[in-house]
Amino acid sequence: MDGNDQTCPKCKTTKYRNPAMILMVNACGHALCESCVELIFAKGSGACPECKCALRRQNFRIQLFEDPAVDKEVDIRKRILKEFNKRQEDFSTLREYNDYLEEVENIIFNLVFDVDSTNTNKMIDNYKKENKDITMKNRNRQSQEEIELEELLEAEKAQQSEKANSYVNAELEEKKQKHKAREKLIDELMFSDADAKSIVASHVQATAALAKEQPKAAAQAGGPVVKSSKFSSGIQIGLRQNTSSFLPIPKQQDLPLFHYSAPVFDYNGPSPPAIEVLGKLKYFANIRAANATERAGGYTEALSCCRALQEAMGGLFYIPQSGHKTAVAASAEETDDMETA
Amino acid sequence: MFATSTQRSFWMFKDENDVSNARLSANIKYISSRGRNMTAEERELHFLNVTEEKILIMSYEYQLRDFCRKFLPPMPRYVIGTALHYLKRFYVNNSVMDYPPKEILVTCVYLACKVEEFNVSMDQFVGNLKGDREKAASIILNNELLLMQQLDYQLTVHNPFRPLEGLMIDMKTRFPTFSDPERLRSGIDEFLEQVFYTDAILIYSPSQISLAAIIHSASTSKENVDEYITKILFSEDQKRLLNLIEAVKKIRVMVRNVQTPHRDVIKALEKKLQLCCNPDNNSESPAFKKRMKQSFDDEESFEDGQYPDANTDQVRSMLMGMSEMGKI
Repeated sequence: MDGNDQTCPKCKTTKYRNPAMILMVNACGHALCESCVELIFAKGSGACPECKCALRRQNFRIQLFEDPAVDKEVDIRKRILKEFNKRQEDFSTLREYNDYLEEVENIIFNLVFDVDSTNTNKMIDNYKKENKDITMKNRNRQSQEEIELEELLEAEKAQQSEKANSYVNAELEEKKQKHKAREKLIDELMFSDADAKSIVASHVQATAALAKEQPKAAAQAGGPVVKSSKFSSGIQIGLRQNTSSFLPIPKQQDLPLFHYSAPVFDYNGPSPPAIEVLGKLKYFANIRAANATERAGGYTEALSCCRALQEAMGGLFYIPQSGHKTAVAASAEETDDMETA
Repeated sequence: MFATSTQRSFWMFKDENDVSNARLSANIKYISSRGRNMTAEERELHFLNVTEEKILIMSYEYQLRDFCRKFLPPMPRYVIGTALHYLKRFYVNNSVMDYPPKEILVTCVYLACKVEEFNVSMDQFVGNLKGDREKAASIILNNELLLMQQLDYQLTVHNPFRPLEGLMIDMKTRFPTFSDPERLRSGIDEFLEQVFYTDAILIYSPSQISLAAIIHSASTSKENVDEYITKILFSEDQKRLLNLIEAVKKIRVMVRNVQTPHRDVIKALEKKLQLCCNPDNNSESPAFKKRMKQSFDDEESFEDGQYPDANTDQVRSMLMGMSEMGKI
């Protein structure tokens, strides 16, 4: 479904002509284009054109999804989950947690499809009353996690900006140094009595030496300033309740080293010659030679010869035994039958 | 490898009695479920007994062979071998009266073509059949899963043809005193054809069968390959030699006792089969068609996750009761 083909149900024509039109969706799940929304609220009447339920301007959100029903559901879900925010740790068994989740889904379903809404709302209110404190606690916990995340993000940003700053500083320093060096050169040329060329030469050497020193100095001073996470007295800065510290990796016992033992195959027959010696034993004289295409594909006569020989030898020692399921049951049944008949 | 295959682990029997017992139990199961209200003599008259079933199966095996021989594109022998294996295995576990052999026959061939990688499309396949092609196609497809289920989904079959080639190669290489084993080929092929009508394939390993074929063919042309066997094959394991000799002897005896069933006998048995066969599985009967239609209609009214489990059984028992009343 292309977004351009969507029509506003109210003014119908305007959407076609204006692909940049944005559809807004309201609390009852129906879509209206922006201009129609403004129209309705300019007039002061607040009724959805399709289902006639009362609307408020605030309840109109820009549609994120193509299907307005989805948007409606997403909205309801956000609202409900603000209330029903229990987590797995709050339940003693997995089964209870699953039951709780199913309940939540039922509620959302009922609200989205307007099934039994009075009962559902009652249920929500009941739940709210019973679980107010747990909900509050969870909300706080969530906000704490968010704070921690934000702090991490901030620290990263600070690091990056510091790096940028240090680079800028280093450049400025360089420029200053160069400027100084040039002025020095000019001063020397003006005021000293030594030979001009030698002054220039010594100056060039000095700048070369300086240039070498620059990167070293930059490396030393360029490392970003690490934000101290502790006060000098040892107390940690900021709320750090769940520092992620991994458990130490359990030490693995020294297992015996892997030792390859070739698989032994029981042919239940005389052992056929190994594939490598088939040529020497002149088996290939009696088998169809591989033509060029077959050989190019990797086929050699040894393969089919070996297979034929293996199949021929395998099973020659076989002694008949009963492996079939009914054979075993049949003997039992037969004795029964003979008794009854 | 045969030694590690499911064929060896699950589809082998100890001897002919074992096989007959299995068939007997399938037969008894069917008779007791269908002829509950009859006396012993009535049952004897109405239903087929084990020997009659055996004769019928043999006639169907011949039919399968003929069908495969006329098949276009020409069918290699290992496909025929696999199809015969499937047919045999199916009717070891089930009674002939329970599932119509004609349908199972074509399904066996179709499945064997797939398993042995002999590519035949459904259209090509039913082109070789006489009669209504669409109906045949639907019969085959309906029975395919049933067949696989009765085979326990163990579809790899080891036929005696590759061991035969191996033994030929070995003989030519290690036993040069016997000139040109190819002379034995026609005798071997004949023997192998006959062995598929016996139960030997369910008792002995395929390499033993192919060795029996070589020995048989050699003895008919008054040759002797015993030296090959004793000196070269079994040079290290003399005790197993006795076991093998025993096995080969038994196989040859079984092949010798193969009797093509007489056409009149077959006709009479077929008539009897028509009367006592299970109408639910016979696609000709009106009861079957009604059941199929009913199961189709029922499927549409299922709600999610609420498939009735005893529905078809109820229908079947209802229909069985009706058909019993209609017969007598």
